[in-house]
Amino acid sequence: MPRDTPDLVSDEALLVLYANGDPVAARELTLRLAPRVLAYAGRVLGDRAEAEDVAQEALMRLWRIAPEWRQGEAQVTTWLYRVATNLATDRLRARKRRRADPLDETHDPADDQPGALAGLIDADRVAALHLALDALPDRQRQAVVLRHIEGMTNPEIAAIMEIGAEAVESLTARGKRALTAALAGRQATLGYEDDT
Amino acid sequence: MKMTHDQRPDTDPLDALFATARQAPMAPSDDFMARALDTALGAQPLPRTLAPAPVPKRGLWLRMLGALGGGFGLAGLGSAAMAGLLIGYVQPDPLLILTDSLSGTTITESYDLSPGFDAILTEDTRP
Repeated sequence: MPRDTPDLVSDEALLVLYANGDPVAARELTLRLAPRVLAYAGRVLGDRAEAEDVAQEALMRLWRIAPEWRQGEAQVTTWLYRVATNLATDRLRARKRRRADPLDETHDPADDQPGALAGLIDADRVAALHLALDALPDRQRQAVVLRHIEGMTNPEIAAIMEIGAEAVESLTARGKRALTAALAGRQATLGYEDDT
Repeated sequence: MKMTHDQRPDTDPLDALFATARQAPMAPSDDFMARALDTALGAQPLPRTLAPAPVPKRGLWLRMLGALGGGFGLAGLGSAAMAGLLIGYVQPDPLLILTDSLSGTTITESYDLSPGFDAILTEDTRP
């Protein structure tokens, strides 16, 4: 691959180069995709250790499928987000099972968020948002994160979550309403206040 | 709704919060990136190499042709043979002078070792 213009090469072309044994493509794809999938998993799971595990596993599955990758069928990022979403869903379900087990002393990752909604700095605002996101149903949280934080389109989210575009619209709308309700009364902390 | 910070009045406050969250992703640690790169390189297929083309087996004629120097050598040998045959048949005067000077004698007689077809026709073969 051209060493001086890797940014101009698409993810898909890099994946083909990766499958052909190009180590530069391996490095470029890792630098490009690993932070993104980690950030997404972190927002969905709210726990760094779990997010890193999910990101590593999703990337490993991408490397394994690279030699059989069928070009033009799906975007690499869409495929990767879909795998990460499924892995995160499995972990969220396991987390709920642990919560239901009173003998399980496993900590609740959401409680690790710095928080207390006090303070006006951005970190606290983001922490408050994450707390509210954690309270959402899993699918709503995934849809809201993909749409409003990852900046994906509804068709892309539909492909990632393997649902219809209307279902995506419904999930994001309900998620936003629930977030607004959860954050009601904290407007001053979060940077705005009602005039009424 | 009155906005604080630097938000536009018509901006959804939740969208502003999303934008803030977008700017503060979970940063990958050096250890995480190193492990991710190790995994990528470890799982990467080996570079594909082209197999060398099979060497064709050479037969007797091809080996003889090679010993003669290939097509050009064979053409030169054939041309020389034809030239020798022609010179021997025509026996040009300059060549006779050359052969006379080399042998020191002049060939004045010739022997017909292979009688022609005319001689056979004129010979009476009846008993």
